[in-house]
Amino acid sequence: MNPLLTFLVVLIGLYGLSTSKNIIKSVFCVTITEAGVILLFLNLGNLEGGSIPIFAEGLVNIVDPLPQALMITTIVIGSTVTALALMLCIKIFHHYGSVEWDVVLRDGGEE
Amino acid sequence: MIEITAYALQILLIIIAIAIVVHKNNGTIIILITSFSLVTASLYVINNAPDVAIAEVAIGSAIIPLIYVISISRQREFIVLDRAMDDFIRKTFDKEGDGYRLLRDFSEYYKLELNISNDPELCNYDPDKDQVICEKTNVDLIIQKDEKTGEYLLKGKDSSVLMHKLEELASNYPNIKVVRFKDGEFGD
Repeated sequence: MNPLLTFLVVLIGLYGLSTSKNIIKSVFCVTITEAGVILLFLNLGNLEGGSIPIFAEGLVNIVDPLPQALMITTIVIGSTVTALALMLCIKIFHHYGSVEWDVVLRDGGEE
Repeated sequence: MIEITAYALQILLIIIAIAIVVHKNNGTIIILITSFSLVTASLYVINNAPDVAIAEVAIGSAIIPLIYVISISRQREFIVLDRAMDDFIRKTFDKEGDGYRLLRDFSEYYKLELNISNDPELCNYDPDKDQVICEKTNVDLIIQKDEKTGEYLLKGKDSSVLMHKLEELASNYPNIKVVRFKDGEFGD
């Protein structure tokens, strides 16, 4: 595992977030960024050749279980944030008639 | 051996991420995001975190594509409640109602999927407040007939840009009138 390659995934997600023209596409890019951040955190707590943090007799070199517990919470909350964002996309379509950022920002500026 | 597998999976992850950012079709991206979740789950196992991998497989590659599919297919749905109960929005083999032609032009302009219902359970009239309350579902448009003048009333939300377009289209039909409500009064 190379942390730099994982950080590249985060950067690709941020690039897509800043350049996408469709609102649903932006939500996809948030998902990519989130997966990259989770991999970075797990890589921090990992030991090369360590054993998984499940109790058994005679375990040595247990990896840190704290980042893993935090990252399970991140996955669950990320899925609810995705559902909320997509619900707002449906509301935006019924309000503006489009889910393109250009149209929404132009019509929102008039009011 | 595990080191080589980890590098190969990371490069595959970067390729899928670039493909998601570059692709234009949302249906293709749903399939790509599922494979993205599966590759990340195998990378979690390599990082000695099998519990996170279980959660990622269950949520990332099963529930999230389901949410995307449902929301993309429901996005263009426009719910119309027909309370007039006559051939205003029906199409028979020899003639088309005015409302049918109006709603067809409107849905072709925005590529909407019309969902026309005449279930009286969806909305009920509240005589105290003199307005129609829709509690169960998100009705976008209500069609009513004025018994005295014979005009058809199309009721919708004031904030929607779609209703402005519908009002513009309805100006060609003399017996159709578009009424717009503020969001709170409409009973969303």
